[in-house]
Amino acid sequence: MKRLLGLLENHSAALLVFGLVIAFGSSAPATFLTGSNFENIARQISLDAPMVFGQMVVLIAGGIDISVGSTMAMAASLAIGLQPYGTPVAVLGALGFGLGVGIVNGLLVTKGKIVAFVATLGTMSLVRGLLLTYTGQASLVGIDPAFTFWGDGQIGPVPVSFLVVLAMLLGLYALLGHLRQGRNLYAIGGNKDAAFLGGVSVNKGLMLAFMLSGLMAAVSGVLVASRLNSASVQLGADAPLMSISAALIGGASLFGGKGSIIAAFFGVLALGILNNGMNLLGVPTYTQIAVRALILITIVVIDALATRLRRAELDNARILE
Amino acid sequence: MNSQEVDPSRRPDVPSNKAPPAKSGGRRRHWSEPLRNQTAVVLLVVLVIAGSLLSDVFLTPRNLLNILWAVSLLGIVSLGQTVLLLTARFDMSVAGVVGLAGIVTVLAQINGFGLIASIGFGLGSGVLVGLCNGVLVLATGANPFLVTLAVNLLVYSLALSLTESKTLYATIPEFNLIGRGQLFGFLHYSVIVFLALAVGLEFVLRRTIPGRTIYVAGLNEVAGRLSGLRLQITKLSAFVLCSGLAALTGIIMTSRINSTIASSGFGMEFDSIIAAVLGGTSLFGGRGGTLRTIVGVVVLGVINNLLVLLNVPSEAQQIAKGLVFLAVVLADSALRRS
Repeated sequence: MKRLLGLLENHSAALLVFGLVIAFGSSAPATFLTGSNFENIARQISLDAPMVFGQMVVLIAGGIDISVGSTMAMAASLAIGLQPYGTPVAVLGALGFGLGVGIVNGLLVTKGKIVAFVATLGTMSLVRGLLLTYTGQASLVGIDPAFTFWGDGQIGPVPVSFLVVLAMLLGLYALLGHLRQGRNLYAIGGNKDAAFLGGVSVNKGLMLAFMLSGLMAAVSGVLVASRLNSASVQLGADAPLMSISAALIGGASLFGGKGSIIAAFFGVLALGILNNGMNLLGVPTYTQIAVRALILITIVVIDALATRLRRAELDNARILE
Repeated sequence: MNSQEVDPSRRPDVPSNKAPPAKSGGRRRHWSEPLRNQTAVVLLVVLVIAGSLLSDVFLTPRNLLNILWAVSLLGIVSLGQTVLLLTARFDMSVAGVVGLAGIVTVLAQINGFGLIASIGFGLGSGVLVGLCNGVLVLATGANPFLVTLAVNLLVYSLALSLTESKTLYATIPEFNLIGRGQLFGFLHYSVIVFLALAVGLEFVLRRTIPGRTIYVAGLNEVAGRLSGLRLQITKLSAFVLCSGLAALTGIIMTSRINSTIASSGFGMEFDSIIAAVLGGTSLFGGRGGTLRTIVGVVVLGVINNLLVLLNVPSEAQQIAKGLVFLAVVLADSALRRS
């Protein structure tokens, strides 16, 4: 039981990717197992991946970010809406907005001492309001054809957005795996008090995590805007759950201190293959929603049970000493 | 959860034993002391004064009744949410339940069931979702926020498949009376239901053992368990109550317009939490009550009403809601630390 839980917890993403490819590959080989479909999947997950990376970083530090969806939608709207001032201004504006939301989230959590999900729930609501006011609930359409390069273009057979994601993957891998600032995030997520006593600046770490999350959500927004060459208020409605699902499938824990960027990539890949396969098989929308919900419930429950088991073991070990 | 420490400042109605004013004779009570925990009341007074200055029609009985009517549905949901918040848990699935209950009620009518039976089916669907939420969260210790958010999606997809994404219309004419009918020609039934439920629940919370147990569940589970309180069944009841009241809301909402769609409750999950917290119910359990939630809900209603009267675009209401929520949560957090 313990081994099974551990296996499910730590390698669920890779297992899921493996299982899904076999399942969809055998049920729809003519459409699923083709080069153009894999390119499709790569394109699709590239839009979500930055946001999931951000969510993963926050989860590792023991937080959670519910505001990623509205941040992403607002960044997409800014990337389109600010184009009259020049595309670089629009993109920088969008990224700056994401960073700003991250700073506000970080301040609310570190200085305001508000629990992460309550604070980000508030900013989510606020940013949603800004988005509705800014767009007047209308769709915005881009005016700069060159802007679509990032989300829609490709270099050889590889989508540009996928290369952007790979670059971020490497950068964050280095940060979390090898830089002190990144390693500190694990310490903060694992045990805040111990980290503090060990000389880690907890507040700085949390600020970094939320800023990265806001920025990455904005990157997702810019890529989506570039891919669609438009933006609407409906964007990102399911993003909070999707990003948390992907990160949890990738081995993160709601209790903090666990996970990695590579695993987050596998998590978003698993969800991408799942969506793609269900679409190819013609599964109705509401069944797709139900499947995603069931997956989330399953991983949240596994996360809780595995954490409970690990804590019980720690208690036992302490008693034996 | 089981290593929760007792924080004296979080006990309801128990004076903090940290600094009893009598002991420190020199320390005068701060002038704001009676106003603490009453952020919403202060806010309401300020808003009403501002409203009467800014608009001629604001302080008319008709407008005030309109505000009550507009918030009564959200109010009923918020009451259930308040009870659940007292146990330090949430229900994000109320949005889906509001839609589902209306749909189940209308479907029962379409299939030939009577008025009472169809309402029974609607309420039953809510109770079932509540049981599902409660068992999932309580048996595994999983994060209630995410579990109920996922259950919300499940319920929504069920509602979508039941309606095939169409609008459904009620078939029993008397059904419309529940949502449209008025007592004495001016007081809507939904307002009466909301206020009666708030008072009734406050009484249960304050004066009965199950009610007090709810507070204990939010404050100190270990102490509650050691005192032999039936915590698990109480917490499960809170989940069921919350979903049940959401279902009631869905049924009344459906009867107002005689039709329903799957997404009719969207946004109510956040708004009900905002209203409860605004009223002064803590997000961390054990502090608050349903009477406070009336104030919280009315404040939200007054803000919306004023923005409409002042011709502020409806999109800005969302900004106002977000700002008010953050302000209240910050105040709540500052209060807990002081």
